[in-house]
Amino acid sequence: MYNRIIRNDILKSKAITLTTIIFIAASAMLVSLAAILVVNLSGALDTLMKQAKTPHFMQMHSGEIDIARLTSFAKQNNNVDDFQVIEFLNMDGAQIILDGSSLANSVQDNGFSIQSEKFDYLLDLNGNIINVTNGELYVPISYMRDKTTKVGDRAVISGKEFTVAGFLRDSQMNSTLSASKRFLVSKDDYTEIKNLGSTEYLIEFRLKDLSALGAFETAYASAGLEANGPTVTYRLFKMMNALSDGMMTAVILLVSALVVAIAFMCIRFTLLAKIEDDYREIGVMKAIGLRVSDIKKIYLAKYAAIAAVGSLLGFVLSIMFKGMLLENIRLYMGESGDSSFALLFGIIGILLVFLAIIAYVSGVLRRFRKISAAEAIRFGTSQEKDVGAKHFCLSGNRLLHTNVFLGIKDVLARKRLYATMLAVLVISAFIIIVPQNLYNTISSKSFSKYMGIGNYDMRIDIQQTDNISEKAAEIIKMLNSDRTISKYAVLTTKTFKVKTEDRSEENIKVELGDHSIFPIEYSGGRAPSAENEIALSVLNANELSKKVGDVITLVMEGKEKNLTISGIYSDITNGGKTAKAVFTDNSADIMWSIICAELSDKSLVEERTSEYASRFVFVKISNIDEFVTQTFGSIINSVKKASSAAIAVALIITVLVTLLFMKMLVAKDRYSIAVMKAFGFTNSDIRAQYVSRSVFVLIVGIVLGTLLANTLGEILAGMVISSFGASTFKFAIHPLSAYLFSPLMMICSVLIATMIGTSGAGQIKISENIKE
Amino acid sequence: MKKIIIGDHIVKSYGEGDEKRNILDGVSAYINEGEFVAVMGPSGSGKSTLMFVLSGTDGVNDGKVVFDGRDLSAVGENELSDIRRIKMGFVFQQPTMLKNLNILDNIILPSMRNNRKNAAKISEKARALMKRVGITELEKRDITQVSGGQLQRAAICRALMNSPKIIFGDEPTGSLNSKSAQDIMDIFSEINAEGTAVMLVTHDAKVAARTERIMFMRDGTIVSELKLPKFEGADMDGRIEKVTEIMREIGI
Repeated sequence: MYNRIIRNDILKSKAITLTTIIFIAASAMLVSLAAILVVNLSGALDTLMKQAKTPHFMQMHSGEIDIARLTSFAKQNNNVDDFQVIEFLNMDGAQIILDGSSLANSVQDNGFSIQSEKFDYLLDLNGNIINVTNGELYVPISYMRDKTTKVGDRAVISGKEFTVAGFLRDSQMNSTLSASKRFLVSKDDYTEIKNLGSTEYLIEFRLKDLSALGAFETAYASAGLEANGPTVTYRLFKMMNALSDGMMTAVILLVSALVVAIAFMCIRFTLLAKIEDDYREIGVMKAIGLRVSDIKKIYLAKYAAIAAVGSLLGFVLSIMFKGMLLENIRLYMGESGDSSFALLFGIIGILLVFLAIIAYVSGVLRRFRKISAAEAIRFGTSQEKDVGAKHFCLSGNRLLHTNVFLGIKDVLARKRLYATMLAVLVISAFIIIVPQNLYNTISSKSFSKYMGIGNYDMRIDIQQTDNISEKAAEIIKMLNSDRTISKYAVLTTKTFKVKTEDRSEENIKVELGDHSIFPIEYSGGRAPSAENEIALSVLNANELSKKVGDVITLVMEGKEKNLTISGIYSDITNGGKTAKAVFTDNSADIMWSIICAELSDKSLVEERTSEYASRFVFVKISNIDEFVTQTFGSIINSVKKASSAAIAVALIITVLVTLLFMKMLVAKDRYSIAVMKAFGFTNSDIRAQYVSRSVFVLIVGIVLGTLLANTLGEILAGMVISSFGASTFKFAIHPLSAYLFSPLMMICSVLIATMIGTSGAGQIKISENIKE
Repeated sequence: MKKIIIGDHIVKSYGEGDEKRNILDGVSAYINEGEFVAVMGPSGSGKSTLMFVLSGTDGVNDGKVVFDGRDLSAVGENELSDIRRIKMGFVFQQPTMLKNLNILDNIILPSMRNNRKNAAKISEKARALMKRVGITELEKRDITQVSGGQLQRAAICRALMNSPKIIFGDEPTGSLNSKSAQDIMDIFSEINAEGTAVMLVTHDAKVAARTERIMFMRDGTIVSELKLPKFEGADMDGRIEKVTEIMREIGI
């Protein structure tokens, strides 16, 4: 019997059933995709880091190195499983020519290495350890992604010729967030080019017990070993590798949650309409003694069938689309070891969607209990009425056109019915606006302030070179005489020891200079301005468990110096662990200096950048936009993709739901439409009324959606952003796109859908609907 | 006397192919200005269809309908709506009111289309009509809060709002008790006395007997016609007798 009832019911309402199935399929697909992505990402990441044997602790160092001392430290430390020192030959981008074009504009520190012997292997695209022969060059995978070069291309490194033999995965430096990129050459070739660049050392450790990494870090720092460069740990490597795909997964999860909510709305709406249609029958069934659970079963069976079909469809779709989303993970990290596991999680996700739908339908059907059999049989409709629109009378209306009035009046009188449509439109507006705002925010220039980069035009990096201060002075001289430069700041980074809670010592990199020239955003407090003040990055503050106003102790030349924490800021540069202060110091070696400059005429940035670059070949000079694009480029791109996808999805949802809604309304309102037509209202009058209804609901939806996007959305986006080191977050809203184009797009979609959805109203015959 | 509606050899059919059935099978009918007419016949005889066709609410398959000198088949959809709204009034068996509007708003609804600037005037007129049919106190009520008879009076007010040339009533007393039905017929008589033509579709001999001409239908054609003097309150029984006699004659 159920089969027959379900079949008849579905045949009678094909469009509505189809739309509901589409939404269920979409939500099932997204949930399944998110599950598959998460499992694959973590699986592929594990595989990559296992195959490559990523170091657990890595200290970059430039300058003199005492290998014997390091070796004895490694021997004496019980936790060290393996230890090695790798050379990294830093070379100016201009000296690296791939397929005829140089990497002079690259903001990455490009350098050369040979294959490691013990761990930290460089892998080919099949996950195998590369065995490189003379004359061969393996290029970091990111240069394949941005199509800089391809296999077989000619490469010229400082005049020496190589052939691009393949691409490599580097578990340390794959991510664009990582500032350095390693090229792989053979031992002989390395020896040949060794003198053409500056050598930096990667001091690497594998530990027996990874959980004791903190203790090891402390031990390394207090042993006073080589530490002229950033320190990176296993966790940070992992996070940097996972970031851009992780963001994509987060966005998909967010969208899938919203689509699930919309599927629920559709179900609620069709179900409520159906219950209203069947009111009398339900009353009769109750009257002849059927139990509520029996009646519920009839309806539940139909939705179980629809949900099953939708979920299956969603699963098939997710299998079809997963390749597209896994492309990036496959390229950068390779196959995940447990892909069947991923499928299993996908299926579990879909099952959850299915069960949630059944539970929800069952919940909506609870209202059967409230239906009074006698009332249902007598009146045939629910006697519940919305109140509130009572004083909104046509007789008192002077302002609105009668059709507009009737449209709005209908919405106010049947709030419950329209609440569903409103909810969907609010969600759509939310989906359109939040990713767009997020994209605008992270692609805006001011966003770099959250990331620890001030708002300047040109950045000059002086590192891996001798006599940093003299070179800086030389550049400053030129800056002073350059009229196009409106202001500049010199920031010098030095390493000091800091006393931790347990009185042990750790290294801390402090950027010294005037931080008020190019201010960054502080999540608490302000920039340091006095000699005894210091500002900490969020990660450092967390690690040292300090807050604004607390005092920390630095050790300089054996003497302790107390500094008050003036502020805490977000930073993702240099592994996120930095500090800023203004005191002068001549004790410690300079690790690097950066000079930031602002130009009075922004159109000259490019020209000046290349001029300085050709003048000072020993430093790296980047146009800040380029620096930001190359550093955050892939993240910005992911978010941009997600944001365009979100707009498309939201508009499709808006059109589909409005269409569905209007078709159902016309079907429900046949009688009223016939009455109005009988009394001289034309088809265009009727259409105008429906357009007024949907536009009225839409306007409320857009206003609520925008408010929600700017409050809840900002909090959500802030959570995403904080996952990569930023702590304070405010949307940078593009008013034209957020408040004009997005609403316009929605209005157009809703208008078109309403027009199509209500075209059936013209066919309604008065004589057939006003029967005696 | 001038004819306000002329139906000429009207054919109206439903269904397709073998299922095709002529509901009106070459019917010719007319209504004079200010006339009070009834159409009688058994269920399925085509009387309601005749009313829908003559009022332009439904099209014809063959033949033509001329209203106030204009061939309705040559009039566009929008103009037809205008004619229905301005020159015609309708009262159906079921009160056909919109649930969301109160009684007053339902009454003024057709007049308010494109006319909101005159809302005060229109409301005033509606109140006068409501007073006349005795439902003044119902102005703000919901349509679910009043009786069937009261609702039918409101429907008559709505039909009268634009001072139409003719009012069509499709079984307007069909769902009322006899007291209410009589009250409603009194109102129709009064309206007719003021010069508005009235066409009622009914199967109730008592209702038909109040009119001055009755068309009897069977199987899609008019089989008989009865003319009566204007009803002035007397000899109701005699009139009813005449109507039922014809009904018997033609077997309805």
